[in-house]
Amino acid sequence: MAAGSDLHEPGLALHIEDLTVRYGATVALWDIDLDIPPGRLVAIVGPNGSGKSTLLKAVVGLLRPVAGHVRIFGQPISRARSRVAYVHQRAEVDWDFPATVLEVVTMGLYRRIGWLRPVRKTHRRAAMEALAEVGMEAFAERQIGQLSGGQQQRVFIARALIQQADLVLLDEPMAGVDAVSEDIILSLLRNLRDRGKSVVVVHHDLSTVRRRFDWMALLNRRLIAQGEMHDVYTPANLKAAYGGQMAVFADTDAEETAPSERVGGQL
Amino acid sequence: MLVDLLSSQIVRTVMLGAALVGGLSGMIGVFAVLRRQSLLSDTISHAALPGVCLGFLLVGGRDLGAVMGGALFTGMVAAMSVLAIGRLTPLKTDAQLGIVLSVYFAIGVVLLSVIQAMGGGSRVGIATFLFGQAAALSVHDVRILGAVFIVAALFLLTLWKEIKLVTFDPLTAEALGLPVRHIELGLTVLLALTIVAGLQMAGVVLMVAVLIAPAVAARQWVGNLGAMTIVSMLIGAFAGAGGALISATGRGLATGPIVVLLACAVVLISILAAPRRGLVWQALSAQLARRRISGDRVLLAMDRLATDHDNPAYPSEKGMLETMLGRPLPRVMRRLEASGLVRPVAHHPESSPHWVLTQAGRRRAEALRRTGHGPE
Repeated sequence: MAAGSDLHEPGLALHIEDLTVRYGATVALWDIDLDIPPGRLVAIVGPNGSGKSTLLKAVVGLLRPVAGHVRIFGQPISRARSRVAYVHQRAEVDWDFPATVLEVVTMGLYRRIGWLRPVRKTHRRAAMEALAEVGMEAFAERQIGQLSGGQQQRVFIARALIQQADLVLLDEPMAGVDAVSEDIILSLLRNLRDRGKSVVVVHHDLSTVRRRFDWMALLNRRLIAQGEMHDVYTPANLKAAYGGQMAVFADTDAEETAPSERVGGQL
Repeated sequence: MLVDLLSSQIVRTVMLGAALVGGLSGMIGVFAVLRRQSLLSDTISHAALPGVCLGFLLVGGRDLGAVMGGALFTGMVAAMSVLAIGRLTPLKTDAQLGIVLSVYFAIGVVLLSVIQAMGGGSRVGIATFLFGQAAALSVHDVRILGAVFIVAALFLLTLWKEIKLVTFDPLTAEALGLPVRHIELGLTVLLALTIVAGLQMAGVVLMVAVLIAPAVAARQWVGNLGAMTIVSMLIGAFAGAGGALISATGRGLATGPIVVLLACAVVLISILAAPRRGLVWQALSAQLARRRISGDRVLLAMDRLATDHDNPAYPSEKGMLETMLGRPLPRVMRRLEASGLVRPVAHHPESSPHWVLTQAGRRRAEALRRTGHGPE
């Protein structure tokens, strides 16, 4: 590979080539080629265990692929961290952790603040603004354990907003979330896209994906299809991704959300 | 008697040492608890026993430096064994920890028997490492403990916000580009160091409780990490010093169990009595909620009767309300009267009690209907 400064596919928000990820002997992702143009609201869709979350983790460097490479606006993740925000699934943390909502949002700035430097008033003000964007400013001093699932998700999204990233990756942000939070989250994501940001969302509700997103990648360990929603959302493609689980496609509202909810809270 | 004890230089040294150990354990225990490393801590402390014996054998006596060095060595080797087993076998974490703990502890007990069988003056101190004996702490030992305490405190202070993020959300910390592995390694080394420093006072068997109990108690009272760390440190220091003092009053009374009992008493009180998270508080607020709900049900029922009869001042009869709600209501009605939501009225010619909704009662019923709060 050429050295240092040269960019590879800089015109794409996310460029993934030959990506293969393995957990022990299990292949989680096989030979993925995916090119996401900037400024789109993208859904990554596929059945359970199809590698959607794994894909996001590989993109932000939480997993080391056995083959392939990832470029973000032409750069490897190690040099694009400040341009990427990642929101993992809500259940990945213990919500009984002793912290306030505001504190958690400022965590998005910890890298930028730098070593040995304390959190200052300007950082808290930025966090308040991010909280206002998700409609949670009234909860700033609340313990995170007292939030509902939808509110927790909005706090995490505020923590991503504060990073002012150009590419925002979210893992199931609308799973197990109340209707109000769902609307707020969706309009936030659209708003980000309208401001030219690239938003990539792991989504597993087939019944809503067509209305909500404008670009889609269908995944089942391999990449089944990618492109504009109306080109990709076809019975043939969905069948290729979901196989025998076609009931999901036929019955548009049958999809259940949030397989395992663990909302940490008070005793 | 107490004054005599406190005026003794030796007792004061021992109490200072025990307070340092307790404070250190409380401080570091917060992170062990929040990072779910209680069982790992227990494994490291049991696995320290063979190291204690090796240090003892090497130096030929009880020297805190040698003992701590040996304990740290086998404790860390045990921690790495857990990692290796996790990587090489499909065993679950609790099984990995259980196996490593038992194997290293068994080796330690064998070595302990060997040392005791060798006889001589040196064998005297060694068995105290099982259950702890703070009285054995010397001024020199206290200096070592003080140094460990300062190192731990400085580590936490300089990397405070990074440690907080890694503890709460390691995935995000890594995605932001923080060196999560290194920070976690630092915390784990500090945990091992804390355990090893505490062995003389608390013993390998009970050390984990000295580590965990103060943090668990502290979490009940406070809601941010900094306060939790400080409160936990204070609880640990209190239990340490108190345990040392009590064990100094009885001949041959091991310190570890006393410290643990003191710390666990604080845990018990905290779990019962802490505001919001305490069981007493929760039981009270649950009862208040039940009362409010049953009051609300009555208001809604009276409101429905008033609507059905097209009369806002409709006098609802006791028997009618009890039939609608399916239970006797004397106390609920008294509470509603007391809070001015209903008013008792006479309704001739009937002699049974009747109530009407007051202005405030009507407003509340209406709000309940509108917002949907309160059951149908």
